[in-house]
Amino acid sequence: METIKPLLLLIEDDPQFRLLLSTTLESRDYRVLTAASGRDGLDAARHRQPSLLILDLGLPDIDGQQVIRHLRSCSELPIIVLSARDRESDITQALDNGADDYLTKPFSTAELMSRIKALLRRVAKLPGGGAQESFQVDELKIELTRRRVFVGEREVHLTPIEFRLLSVLVRNAGFVVTHRQLLKKVWGASYVEHSHYLRIYMGQLRHKIEADPARPRYLLTEAGVGYRLNTGEN
Amino acid sequence: MNIAKLEKSFDRQRSEFPKIYWLWGIAFPLLLTLIDWPFRDMLTPSNILLVYLLGVFIVAIRLGLWPSILASLTSAAAFAYFFAPPIFSFAIADQENLVGLAVMLVVGVVTSNLAEDVRHQARIAEHRERRVSALYRLSKELTEACSEKDIIDIGVRHLHIEFGARAILLFPDGNGTLHYPGDAPLEIVDLTMAQHVFDQGQIEYDSTGPALYLPLNDSTGIMGVLALESVNAQRILIPEQRELLGAFINQISHALKRARLAEQANDATVKMQAETLRNSLLSSISHDLRTPLATIVGAAGSLETDDERLSKDSRRKLVGAISQEAQRMSDLTVKILEMARLEAGEVILNRQWYAAEEIIGSALHRLDKTLKNRQVNVQMADNLKLIHVDAVLLQQVMVNLLDNADKYSPAELPIDISVATTPFSLSITVADRGPGIPENFQQQIFDKFFRIHAESTQSGVGLGLSICRAIVEAHGGDLQASNRNGGGTLFQLHLPILECPPTIAPEEKDRCDGND
Repeated sequence: METIKPLLLLIEDDPQFRLLLSTTLESRDYRVLTAASGRDGLDAARHRQPSLLILDLGLPDIDGQQVIRHLRSCSELPIIVLSARDRESDITQALDNGADDYLTKPFSTAELMSRIKALLRRVAKLPGGGAQESFQVDELKIELTRRRVFVGEREVHLTPIEFRLLSVLVRNAGFVVTHRQLLKKVWGASYVEHSHYLRIYMGQLRHKIEADPARPRYLLTEAGVGYRLNTGEN
Repeated sequence: MNIAKLEKSFDRQRSEFPKIYWLWGIAFPLLLTLIDWPFRDMLTPSNILLVYLLGVFIVAIRLGLWPSILASLTSAAAFAYFFAPPIFSFAIADQENLVGLAVMLVVGVVTSNLAEDVRHQARIAEHRERRVSALYRLSKELTEACSEKDIIDIGVRHLHIEFGARAILLFPDGNGTLHYPGDAPLEIVDLTMAQHVFDQGQIEYDSTGPALYLPLNDSTGIMGVLALESVNAQRILIPEQRELLGAFINQISHALKRARLAEQANDATVKMQAETLRNSLLSSISHDLRTPLATIVGAAGSLETDDERLSKDSRRKLVGAISQEAQRMSDLTVKILEMARLEAGEVILNRQWYAAEEIIGSALHRLDKTLKNRQVNVQMADNLKLIHVDAVLLQQVMVNLLDNADKYSPAELPIDISVATTPFSLSITVADRGPGIPENFQQQIFDKFFRIHAESTQSGVGLGLSICRAIVEAHGGDLQASNRNGGGTLFQLHLPILECPPTIAPEEKDRCDGND
């Protein structure tokens, strides 16, 4: 039923900012449910079944991280986290706790819209689509099942680890994947503190895929947080 | 224990003299008897009496009153028995010899008293000289000391040299409670007693310690307590030493007072500088925040009240102004907060192993919009090792340097970044082809709120480069500006490589496609 507008839940304690976001979102064909505190937000998430949550990390009653953990224990509700700029550790923690994406304040509404859209699209794809076959952005083409990677016409040969690393990013294309998540998925849980593995392999991967590894087009660094495979959308 | 009683007992001890002196008082006259015996026929008894007199005289000078009296008596007995007729009997027949003996006794007493007096004077003079020179050495060192810790160290050392005792200086905290200095040996001080001394200002002696507690006075009151462990209480408690100890304490107290006053004066200067800085910060911030704020408030106000009268075009212009100025304010706020955090020492480096390439790449990505039409050349040395840095902060450094280069050089000229490494350092340079920086400003540009052209139209408070330097210095590196060959500005950043990057296990050879 495509005519029903998606319901978004917004948990934000600042009334002005809440008003701004809800007005903007409503003008873009979303229905918006607002909550000023973590507890009200959790209640609303349980009873109203929203399609997506926009969560400010600094809440007056319970910690935003706790809200994420609560929700993740029982639901797959997509979460976008809002945070102040200088709190990379909060962002990383939120993502590791299960948030899907983040924005640092201040951000443009256009950016928020594109993140919401991308996240809703990803959720829509998941149930029916099954495993993703291939991924393409600009010149870069990755065939996941056949384990082949092309840049333009040229086939790029990757080592097993390089391929695993790239495929984790492909499966989350457009979204940031934290260092911890990557280390865990590619090397295993005992490697989560060995960030130098990630740097070295990411460097190798860039040298094989990027035209100018110092100004990457595809494999973007989110300093202090993780990596994002560019989908060319934002 | 009562101090006066203790002192008296030491005084008594001091006036006693070795038992060997008594022995000499007997032995010396007997020795003279032996010497005189062969000559008894050649000498008259009065001559022999003179020899005994000489003996008593010597004993009186060397050994003091009581041995000399003993020597007189022994001499008298020996003379009566061996020399005065009738010999081998204590009887003395001749009146003259009796008078001689009496004179000998008197001479012994008088001489020994005189000699004792001279010796005493000499001893006092010697002690005084030693004390004066000890005091002089102490005060000489104290005048050269500049910190409170130095003064305490010097005081403790001299107390040990002079009194053979370990010493600890205890100072009160804000509540007037005495505390141990961190590195002092704990076992010798009873803090309760020290506290009592501090509160009462009275000297106390702890007989179980044994330790002596003395208040440190200055003109304004008691500033602390000196605890002296006395291995040899005598060296401390005799009056002259007590006087010396008092003088020592005086010297130390005054030196401490002086150091504290100097520190206060220094604090006041620092405070004044901070005040000046705060004022320049406030005026700078208020100017740079008010200007965009004025635009935002004004534009939003007209949109709110004159909405219908505005043309579509002017509405768009006003909205554009609001958005642009808000962005400017946002950038400024971020910079000010970042500087404040760095200044407050709140930033703990989250060091991780990173590739320089990646940090530069993410900085360039963040400036994508700004540098859209700018040529940026990146030159990387081959085989760069990973560096152990806080990537977020170092990225901030790169963003600020690149933003700076973009602001101050013509848009059609390129910006060049290069990265090089030595075994011990990594250097990153960011170079533009702008007007360069006059040599006298090359240090000042890193000062907070410094801008070469104060009223330039470029936005910014002059914090970007100060933030850069603070971050680089937090990493143990340095950041310098110079003029580039052929024109332009060159920023050079050096980061020390303190440890080798960890190695990783080589990947197994089974490739996923088998032909790479």
